[in-house]
Amino acid sequence: MKSILRLTLLCIALLSSVASWAQVSFTVNAPALTATGQPFRVEFSVDAEPEQNSFKAPSFEGFDVLAGPSVSTGHSIQFINGRQSASYSCTYTYVLLPNSAGKFTIEPATITVEGKNYSTKRQLVEVIAEKEEATTTNRSRKNPESQISKDDILLRLKVSETSLYKGESLRASLVLYTRANIDNVEDVTIPPFDGFWSQELTFENTPSREEYNGRIYETYKITELLLSPQQSGKIVIPEASLSVRAQVIVNDNGRHDPFFGRRQIYHVTRNLKSEPITINVKEFPAGAPANFNGAVGNYTISYKLPESEIVSNSADQFEITISGSGNLKFLTAPKLSLPESFELYDTKVVDNIKVSDTGTSGSITYTYPFVARSVGDFSIGAVEFCYFNPETQQYKSLSTEPFTITVLDDGTSSNAPIVGNYTNYGGTMRQLDRDIRFIHTAGLSATTGETFVLTPIFWLVVVAMLSIFAATYVTLSKRIRDNRNVVARRMKHADKMAVKRLRMAERSMKEGNRHAFFEEMLRAMWGYISDKFNIPVSNLTKETIREELYRRNVSSALAEQFCEIISRSEEAQYAPSAEGEMSDVYTLAIEVISRIEESIKR
Amino acid sequence: MKSILNHITPLLLVVVAMVMPQKSSGADATTTAEALWAEGIEAYESKDYTSAVEAFSQIVNLGEANEDVYYNLANAYFKLGQHATTTRPFGSGELGRAILNYHRALRLNPAMADARYNLELAVDHTNDTESVPKSFIAVLWHSLRDSATSNGWTIASLVMLGAMLILVMFYLLSTHIVLRKVCFFVSFALLVSVITTLSLAISSRNAVLNDNRAVVLCNDTTPVHASPDSASKIIRQPSQGVTIFVERTHGDWAEIRFADGEKGWIPNSRIELI
Repeated sequence: MKSILRLTLLCIALLSSVASWAQVSFTVNAPALTATGQPFRVEFSVDAEPEQNSFKAPSFEGFDVLAGPSVSTGHSIQFINGRQSASYSCTYTYVLLPNSAGKFTIEPATITVEGKNYSTKRQLVEVIAEKEEATTTNRSRKNPESQISKDDILLRLKVSETSLYKGESLRASLVLYTRANIDNVEDVTIPPFDGFWSQELTFENTPSREEYNGRIYETYKITELLLSPQQSGKIVIPEASLSVRAQVIVNDNGRHDPFFGRRQIYHVTRNLKSEPITINVKEFPAGAPANFNGAVGNYTISYKLPESEIVSNSADQFEITISGSGNLKFLTAPKLSLPESFELYDTKVVDNIKVSDTGTSGSITYTYPFVARSVGDFSIGAVEFCYFNPETQQYKSLSTEPFTITVLDDGTSSNAPIVGNYTNYGGTMRQLDRDIRFIHTAGLSATTGETFVLTPIFWLVVVAMLSIFAATYVTLSKRIRDNRNVVARRMKHADKMAVKRLRMAERSMKEGNRHAFFEEMLRAMWGYISDKFNIPVSNLTKETIREELYRRNVSSALAEQFCEIISRSEEAQYAPSAEGEMSDVYTLAIEVISRIEESIKR
Repeated sequence: MKSILNHITPLLLVVVAMVMPQKSSGADATTTAEALWAEGIEAYESKDYTSAVEAFSQIVNLGEANEDVYYNLANAYFKLGQHATTTRPFGSGELGRAILNYHRALRLNPAMADARYNLELAVDHTNDTESVPKSFIAVLWHSLRDSATSNGWTIASLVMLGAMLILVMFYLLSTHIVLRKVCFFVSFALLVSVITTLSLAISSRNAVLNDNRAVVLCNDTTPVHASPDSASKIIRQPSQGVTIFVERTHGDWAEIRFADGEKGWIPNSRIELI
């Protein structure tokens, strides 16, 4: 089996080597662009020995053949590390002069090698009428500096687009245009591409010819970059600069050396600057979906769902891959919303992005690892990815399927209590989102928006309250004052009343009416105390009399005498007694009252 | 004493009758308003916010609106704008209308916590500037003032005035020294409270009467010019729902002042007074 494989490989190798040996290349080499009045060379080369006189040149229509064909052949044999390789080349060269401006075709030339005919490809040559330089004739042949005019060496920053959406990319190349021989290029300053994300591109470093402003230049690419604007609006790319050293050959017309003449080589250094370029970065059209995150391009998504049944506290992951072309490097991971009891860890991003001169393409894979903490069935919503397609100028949304996960008990889970959407793990409850509170649904109660304060009604109420207060105060205070006056008068007139009553008692005594006398005496005594100390007669006892008198610093002997008069009068009122008793009691009472009066006043 | 009471009773009755809401529009408008109220709530619950806005607006047009109607109308506007799927959220100026109506609800009842919460949430969607920070005392005063309505403060102050007068009476007429002392200090404290609550009531009333606040109503943002001339410099671009103060009007233009003190001119049609 192995030997067969080896044999096959050998065969393939042999065949390919034979084929490469047999391959004869016959090519034409002519500039694609030239100017009228400028002779140019056309070379037909073959890398094998052609048969004699088998080369047939095409008719160079539109061109004058100035010279040719001149044939040059070369043969070389190389030994490298003991291996021999031979090469042969044969070149037929013509020098042509374009007759007029226009597009011309150099028809295929044919040649026969080892009996086989080969022909070159058609070659298009564009001939333009170059602008005449007014300065050419005025140039001093002597001054090498003036040999190279300002237009002879140019630095241009070329961009593939000047108007694009944010996130799209454009190609910018810094190209040196020259009509002189360039020796050296140095001090290349690439402008800062502020507002852009930039990435250098690899490019073929071959010079070519290009027409610019009606003249033909040799062009050399200095650098090529892929730029992607990161902000909208007008962005100016500032100038790039470099310095070149050009070779100038000055013919002295044999002034120094009359025999050979003399050609002198000078070096001229020029500092070049490119024009600043303005890039118009367009705003995205209106109507962007809420989950649009600035993705621009053309994408597709694929995804890998986690297992539909997992054990709690075990990890699983959800994978989503976005592939396509666009600003892949600036994509943000689409949002995966998991129930609260799921712990979502940092999203892993794996990208496979290629940068080419048309933009970036490839794929990005986002992996969302998570751990389910609670047991139960959970439905997980779709993950949406929204992008803007600049070609169709539309937003497109891609989404995954919603899915459900059943989390099984692993036997150890404590099963944290879940209340609605909130899961409490011993910490404080988190506020997940906010929204306005619900409307009021209670009945429509009429309220007037009128304020009450400082209105006439308010003042009316205040005045009413104050007048009630004033009226009440006046009434109450008057009553109290009156009350006080009565007492004071009574107290003032206490002894007078007593005297008046004693007089009435005296009259009764003279009339010999004992009963009336003692009655009047008692009334005088009780009344005196009652008026004096503002105590109702009904509340008076001998005890209270003693107390009241004692409180007013009346000697207890006097108080005792007073009480004795009362006792004697009470006894005598109903019992017969001596004649002289009435006058005794009478004088004693007058004396006691006057003494009490004295001691109270004191 | 009895004669005084006899005098005051009819007076009080008159006062009560005048304070009681006067329904000049009659029972007809009230029943229509009640039907619209039920209709609006039903529409809101079934997430038909356009109909809810219409129903609550009609109650406002009938002049039967209370703070709850404004609050519900604001909520309906907010939800309508939030759920506008065809265009951007609040693409037709719903946020501005919601904020306007929250302010109107709060004007009628500054103590309406729900309206204040929702207003705060709605204002988060605008580009309103931070107001100049007020002093601690001003903040305290305003939060105290807004914890009740003007009428609430008035009634509280009148009740305290009554209590104070009774205590003053005791102080004046009592002969008991301890009672007199207690009455004196308590009535003094009540006097301070009466003055405070009355000031709160007046302040609250003035805040309503001298309310020159307006809300910017537009679809997105609207330019504010340096002078009443659309060719003049644009100094700011407030979004819908930004609350500003109207200083004066001049033709079709209004001079407005932002919360941070900056002034500018805006077309009258772009703002609505609260």
